Amino acid sequence: MPLQAQQSTPAIAAKKILRISAVPDQNPEKLNRLYGLLAEELEQKLGVPVKYVPLIDYTAAVTGFRNGDLDLVWFGGLTGVQARLQTPGAQVLAQRDVDAAFHSIFIGNVNSVAAIKPIRTFNDLQQLKGKRFTFGSESSTSGRLMPQYFLAKGGVKITDFAGGAPGFSGSHDATIALVQSGAYEVGAVNEQVWQTNLRKGNIDRTKVVALWRTPPYPDYHWVAQGNLNKRFGPGFSSKLQKALIQLRPSNPRQQQILELFGARQFVEAPASQYGQIEAIGRNLGKIR
Amino acid sequence: MRVQAAPALGLLLPALVFLPLVALLPGAVHGGGWPLIAAFGMAALQPSFTPALVANAFHGIAITLAIALWSWLLSMAIGLIAAVFSSPTVTTALWGCRWPAHWLRRLLAIPRSLHELLWGLILLQLIGLHPAVAVLAIAIPYGALVARVFSDQLESLDQKPFQALQAAGVAAPAALFSALGPSLLPGLLSYGGYRFECALRSATLLGVFGLGGIGADLRLSLQSLQFNEAWTSLWALALVMFSLEQLIALWRARCVQGRHLLILLGCLLLLLFPAANLLDLQWQVLLNPWRLLPADQLFQLQGWWQPWPQLIGSTVLLTITAALAAFVATPLLLLLICPWPWLQLLLRAFGLFARLMPPPLTALLLLFVLKPGLLPAVIALAFHNAGILGRLFLEGLESQDPRPEQALWAAGVPRRRALLMARFNGLATSYMAYGAYRADVILRETVVVGLVGVGGLGAVLLEALSSFAWAELLPVLVVYALLTLLGEELADRYRRSLLFNHTQLGGGSTPQLELLPRGVPGPA
Repeated sequence: MPLQAQQSTPAIAAKKILRISAVPDQNPEKLNRLYGLLAEELEQKLGVPVKYVPLIDYTAAVTGFRNGDLDLVWFGGLTGVQARLQTPGAQVLAQRDVDAAFHSIFIGNVNSVAAIKPIRTFNDLQQLKGKRFTFGSESSTSGRLMPQYFLAKGGVKITDFAGGAPGFSGSHDATIALVQSGAYEVGAVNEQVWQTNLRKGNIDRTKVVALWRTPPYPDYHWVAQGNLNKRFGPGFSSKLQKALIQLRPSNPRQQQILELFGARQFVEAPASQYGQIEAIGRNLGKIR
Repeated sequence: MRVQAAPALGLLLPALVFLPLVALLPGAVHGGGWPLIAAFGMAALQPSFTPALVANAFHGIAITLAIALWSWLLSMAIGLIAAVFSSPTVTTALWGCRWPAHWLRRLLAIPRSLHELLWGLILLQLIGLHPAVAVLAIAIPYGALVARVFSDQLESLDQKPFQALQAAGVAAPAALFSALGPSLLPGLLSYGGYRFECALRSATLLGVFGLGGIGADLRLSLQSLQFNEAWTSLWALALVMFSLEQLIALWRARCVQGRHLLILLGCLLLLLFPAANLLDLQWQVLLNPWRLLPADQLFQLQGWWQPWPQLIGSTVLLTITAALAAFVATPLLLLLICPWPWLQLLLRAFGLFARLMPPPLTALLLLFVLKPGLLPAVIALAFHNAGILGRLFLEGLESQDPRPEQALWAAGVPRRRALLMARFNGLATSYMAYGAYRADVILRETVVVGLVGVGGLGAVLLEALSSFAWAELLPVLVVYALLTLLGEELADRYRRSLLFNHTQLGGGSTPQLELLPRGVPGPA
């Protein structure tokens, strides 16, 4: 079916299937493993069939949610706000412990950034002017929105990069690979993805280095449709929220899920937290 | 036999476009990613054969083929019906007036003016995540295009048999069918076959943007630099595209006739059901209420404030340079390699690769070594279209009479000059006419490379869609459509004047389709 990276039977017509999805911010193999496990876990806890719908596009996740084709989506900060603004009744269910104060990391190719002095203030970002710079996906919060916002604070416009425009690698993993290869000199990635890749030894530290850690901002969150209680029975939304929040490392499967998410656990998240993201999104024209 | 090389020179003149392109190149190359390009090339010899991956690639191909098949048949059906009713002959016969035909013709220009990718992204907003989106996205603009080609053909047919039948008292529909049907059939089959190839390319491209099929796998593996995996998909796609092209060439050369044709059509129809199953097409979702875009946000004055001259300028510049480069690439290369005929095989293989590689993915690879900007966009578009134009050019060359060229060799004329003077000359006019049509296609296609940093209309459109900026979407769509309509009109006029002059010069008074090289579709 369209908008799916891998095969899986669509469940558009079925009213009784909980369709979960996520913004495609990392390699699809990893996402398939992660959300496959989560679907099993939720199915067991909630007693309803759960289906993971893989997507290859951030915008498609928002559109799918707005149109009611997806019930529960793991959104980034920006896409989550976009989705909630377009979907009456949608609610924030949870975020990871790391999401309330999330960071991006600016990374650089060793050969290109040798002359760059340590970045301590926003103004130091001016040294990146004229570099070949890549963001992640266009609608990514940690890979585009917040980095662009902080760059602007330092007086760097996106037209200041080599070629007059930044690149959009598509995902955080792709950004790391491109900067490491030298195709781009500097890039902005999600800190948690960067850390995980470092730990796993996926990064050649002789080729790519971290340049700067951004100030904190709220990022990823689970957003659910407002009509779940009506479709799946009274109290379903809170059962779903509990199922997410009660994932614990003591259970082997739950431990695997949390590890793939890069989180110790999920916590409740106030929707108001994302007001800052909405303001910046409007400011940069990603929310109209 | 004419010996002057004038028309053939007209064929090669667009090569001048390479001068500014080459001049721009040093400033645009950064070369940071040459190792990646090398790795991509090397990986061609080592595609990944992991069973799961191979299975996935074939599943992706099957989805792409299913989308192509459904959208093709649907577009042919839409096209045929619309063609009949946009032909003044038909409406006059049925209702005694011509205006319904003229109005339908004008109306059909609108769906045709938008690229299938835009249709896909818009329908996605209206219908939701559903396989029917990709099928409709191709079928709508293709249907309108097919309608125009067929109604042109219908009008260019000899009307006397029809008038005779009508005079003899045969009812209008029956008279139309039996008088015009048989003479329309060959052109219909030939052009129809070609449209299937186009549908396969479009379906691949839609996949790149997440609308289903192998394109998605291709984009993901290229983006994550998994080149061995990318080549699994590319080889699978090459295999399918090559066999399909060969099959369609047979079909179009009229080797498949009569009973065989019926059997082939029957097979295609039978394939529709498994294809629908595979895609899980549920047409009934189209009957669900559409999620119309909020009108108050769609119609807002401030969306009309755009730097139009700059946007339109860069779109037009991109179109013209890409079209000229794509047009001249094959004739130029053929001339260069003329003394070594075996190199033609390499050229053909390269052409196949160019055709199967969606332009945004070529652009993605180019950005490994080029700075973002106009140049990678031009190269990506030109490369893809050179593959398409080149194949038609080669087919046309083969169908030319070899004797004049052999006579020139015998007279001691060097090979390159002989090729120019004989076969290139014979093909020049029809190839230029086809090139004009292709330029028109490229104009629509500029939207697909909108994201590699060219400030054209395509970039603004895709950005508006990803920001859900409906107020901006409508004006850009309207301007884009107007621009493509204008482009279509200009290309049309140029083509007609070319063919007209050709006929005046004694190039033969055959209908337009026959003027084009065998294998080149008619006016479209």
